Amino acid sequence: MLVEEFGLTQEQVQPESKLEELGVDSLATVEFMFMLEDKFDLKMTGEPVPLKTVGDIAREVDTLVVQQGITLGEAD
Amino acid sequence: MNTESADMQRVVVTGVGALTPLGEGAEALVRALEEGRSGIRFLDVPWAKSLNSALAAPVSTPVESRFTKLRRLTLDRVAQLALLAAGEALTQAGLDFSGDEGLHCGLFWGTGIGGATTLEQAYHESFLDAQARPRPTTIVAFMANGSAGQLSIEFKIRGPSFTYSSACSSSAVALGEAFLAVRHGRVRYALAGGSEALLTLGVMKAWESLQTLAKPDPVRPETSCRPFSRDRSGFILGEGAGALVLETESSARARGATILAEIVGYGNTTDAGHITQPDAGGQSRAMQEALRMAQLAPEQVDAINAHGTGTVVGDGVETRALKIVFGDRAAHIPISATKALHGHLMGASGAVEMVAALGALQRGIVPPTAHWTTPDPACDLDYVTEGARALPTLNTLMSNSFGFGGNNAVLIARRYTWAG
Repeated sequence: MLVEEFGLTQEQVQPESKLEELGVDSLATVEFMFMLEDKFDLKMTGEPVPLKTVGDIAREVDTLVVQQGITLGEAD
Repeated sequence: MNTESADMQRVVVTGVGALTPLGEGAEALVRALEEGRSGIRFLDVPWAKSLNSALAAPVSTPVESRFTKLRRLTLDRVAQLALLAAGEALTQAGLDFSGDEGLHCGLFWGTGIGGATTLEQAYHESFLDAQARPRPTTIVAFMANGSAGQLSIEFKIRGPSFTYSSACSSSAVALGEAFLAVRHGRVRYALAGGSEALLTLGVMKAWESLQTLAKPDPVRPETSCRPFSRDRSGFILGEGAGALVLETESSARARGATILAEIVGYGNTTDAGHITQPDAGGQSRAMQEALRMAQLAPEQVDAINAHGTGTVVGDGVETRALKIVFGDRAAHIPISATKALHGHLMGASGAVEMVAALGALQRGIVPPTAHWTTPDPACDLDYVTEGARALPTLNTLMSNSFGFGGNNAVLIARRYTWAG
């Protein structure tokens, strides 16, 4: 999704890639989390979560998916 | 108002940029005006059928493609237009503000509405669905000073920054205030101009309700805006951006920059009469103030870029104001109303028309008032209706911009000559 929505390359988007270095600032991160919520029918907790890397976002989504009992195959 | 003082600087223009319905770049604008090409056409949008008429003057340059998706998150169309026009002006000026010079540049930007597309999208979603969440970047994309902020970030301009909003005179005010700031030593450089992008359903429908838009000509819709012609019926909404780089003469000369023209006068007055109806008194006072500041007699103005929107009332009032200022000579000054061709760019008008005026000054050719068909006793001056006119002696040019709310902004530019 980072590739599709933000025009980044596959090479750039690695788990350890730092969001700031990709040009994904705090505003863009929030924008992206909104997109993820819509795509996977997730609900963010509203609590601030430190998201510094692409991997941080993936882990946060994984956590929420488990907590909220979502099956990813159905969401897409 | 006495604004003269010994330590005043001459203010020169070293860069211009424009993105308009007449194409990309200042050169494209100037050429199209000379050739009498119209940028007015029917919008090709899904919501066109919701309008009485979708006749408008859109920018056809693929603006979005010039920015990455990530960058576009915070850029409304109005800021995209601003960035492209300003980039052209700064490139021409040959200025790089990434170092300390950026501390000495001010930013003076005008817009009537700001990020109309973003705001309308947020409203649309919110009204249709109570659970809707506008995008997190909505606020920063639609705020009126969004363009100024984005320009500062892109070009590292770190002096004072201002956003002016006075409807149709917004960017003329921005230019005028930038001129004063450079003239009086507040800044060495100024990036000044304006942008507008309001061809959205809600805004266009609101303008339709106000009944100031031109009736589409059934045969040649691109000629529907006819300033100063008896059969005029209003203006055509447009979008675009215009940008100028102003700097002190001493700075421009020291760095060997090409000087395009000099800004010599600026007048700004308020009618204090009616929120939409123009006032010849307020307009003429603004012209007189600009002349006073420029230390010019009315006889020294060689050509005028009129506000000339093509409304029945507006063109008649401007004609009266010109007669108050120039007396009998008013009939002998070529007056161009370029909105007939590029449409009414609202907050961007003043800057775009100044870019056009500087092109006229440099080339010694004043653009026509296009689409004029019939004389009107209330508009009996020389509106250059026959087509572009060569004026080799063209030295000094006045440009008028008048806005709803009763603001009148007048700028005077002249060919640059070094006093030695």
